Amino acid sequence: MKKLLRTLQTIDRRVLYALLLLSVTLPFFIPMKIPVKISQPTHKLYDTIESVPENSFIIFGSDWSAGTRGENGAQTEALMRHVMRHKLRFAILCFDPQAATLTQDIALKLQSQYGYKEGVNWTNWGYRVQEVLFFKAMANDIVKTVTADIHGTPIQTLPVMQGVTSATDIKLLVNVNPTNSYTNYIQFLQGPYHIPMVFAPTAVMAPEAFNYLDSGQISGMLNGLSGAIEYEQMLGVVGRATKDSNCLSFAHLLIIMLMILGNIAMLLERRAAKLETQLMGGAA
Amino acid sequence: MSIWLGNHTHIFSLWIGAICTIGLYSVLYKENKMFRFFEHLFLGLATGYMIATTWNDVLLPKWWVPFHDEGKWWLAFAVAIGSLYYFIYSKKYNWMARMLIGLFLGVSAGQQFQVFVNDVWPQIYMSFKPVLPHSAIAASAIGPSVNAVTPVEAINNIVFMVILLCVMSYFFFSFEHKSAAMVHSARWGRWLMMFTFGAIFGSTIMARLALLIDRMDFMLNDFGGEAFAWTGNGPVAVLVLLFGLTGLVLYLSLGKKQDEESIEDPNAGNY
Repeated sequence: MKKLLRTLQTIDRRVLYALLLLSVTLPFFIPMKIPVKISQPTHKLYDTIESVPENSFIIFGSDWSAGTRGENGAQTEALMRHVMRHKLRFAILCFDPQAATLTQDIALKLQSQYGYKEGVNWTNWGYRVQEVLFFKAMANDIVKTVTADIHGTPIQTLPVMQGVTSATDIKLLVNVNPTNSYTNYIQFLQGPYHIPMVFAPTAVMAPEAFNYLDSGQISGMLNGLSGAIEYEQMLGVVGRATKDSNCLSFAHLLIIMLMILGNIAMLLERRAAKLETQLMGGAA
Repeated sequence: MSIWLGNHTHIFSLWIGAICTIGLYSVLYKENKMFRFFEHLFLGLATGYMIATTWNDVLLPKWWVPFHDEGKWWLAFAVAIGSLYYFIYSKKYNWMARMLIGLFLGVSAGQQFQVFVNDVWPQIYMSFKPVLPHSAIAASAIGPSVNAVTPVEAINNIVFMVILLCVMSYFFFSFEHKSAAMVHSARWGRWLMMFTFGAIFGSTIMARLALLIDRMDFMLNDFGGEAFAWTGNGPVAVLVLLFGLTGLVLYLSLGKKQDEESIEDPNAGNY
């Protein structure tokens, strides 16, 4: 018994990794669906997009790279589905060099499902540098600041950009971002021009963003992969997030189970040691 | 050869992705040269990609084309001024770099006013929440309309206010915390922050798991589904391979660990 209690507290990390591998791969083959409860920030984000009038122009800020594709990729796909379903015109804007290509791929994959066409319903402004200066210039004159899309086409010739000249023509800001640079959107676009903003951070960044959600600076939020799973459920689609849903639940279950087991073993071992000391004291 | 290569680009990219994934995850066994190689490969690729994108998406359309093709010669000064930054490496001329750094420091400092107003100020005034339930008040000459506050919302607001005051009292250093109210509220503030840090740590684990799941999705469904399609069920084939590989690593590493323990303790097993 003693040995078992000790073993439970000192399991080799490689064994734990193997168990984790099992818990994230096997659910791909299990045809079951663990129900997901929709959180309030996700609801708010959904309602915010729904409240934007059809055919409005929005900015789809995407600032993630391959390193956080697991979370931000799924969020981008879920949000873009809703934007396309709601018939909003959008421009992809990236401050990360990889994001322009990664987000473009997602938009190209989804556009045929929703009858969208690049240049007509959406455009990609590509990679830009220095957010603050860009936002300040763009807020006054979008055409002069952006000049061309990712393919080099002048944006004033694109049907999607018709009637869009300054920040006042932007009806919503969407930002998928694994860093805290989303605050630039708040400081230089959302705040000064009162444009509603929704945010999709990685789960690591989400707790810090609740301040902005509570103050109303952010109108809705997707919390990491679980947020994307909730959103796909709200949209009623089966995308990449839903596919990963069971894996996330199983992995969480494994970690919680191991924590409980380790703690029970520690408490039992302490109690046994205490009893042993008392018995030895009594015998003396 | 090039046609053949062109027809197989996708499958090559899948194989490279799978090998890189296994190489990078090999660090879970222990630090090794294969991991180091793939780590540097990834960093090199990301940096190269960034340089190429910066040129193609920013410098080429915004600087080179206007300067070279459209005859805007004065844009040459942008290079000259920007290059001043590199004088930071010269002991004699680093004052030139400091001029530029000073300029941008001034710009940033000026922007902080706007940052504060748009970032922090809304959070401050939204912190003043109603703690008593009341019905909606219509707009009048005295002020704008006020939304109703339900009893549940009022309780929620009270919890918010208590937490806010406790955490703020922890950071109040203007005088020594001697009174019981300050001591207790500061202590509670510390505990409440600990809860937040715990939530952040829990979220970090969730984020890391999401990244692992994405990689496994790639390995099983993207890579397995195409590169091992000839087996009839590619994802299952890759799953079996992954488990086989993991089992082998576990068997070797745990066996080695037992050997090391018995060397460290020659009496092991003789108790």
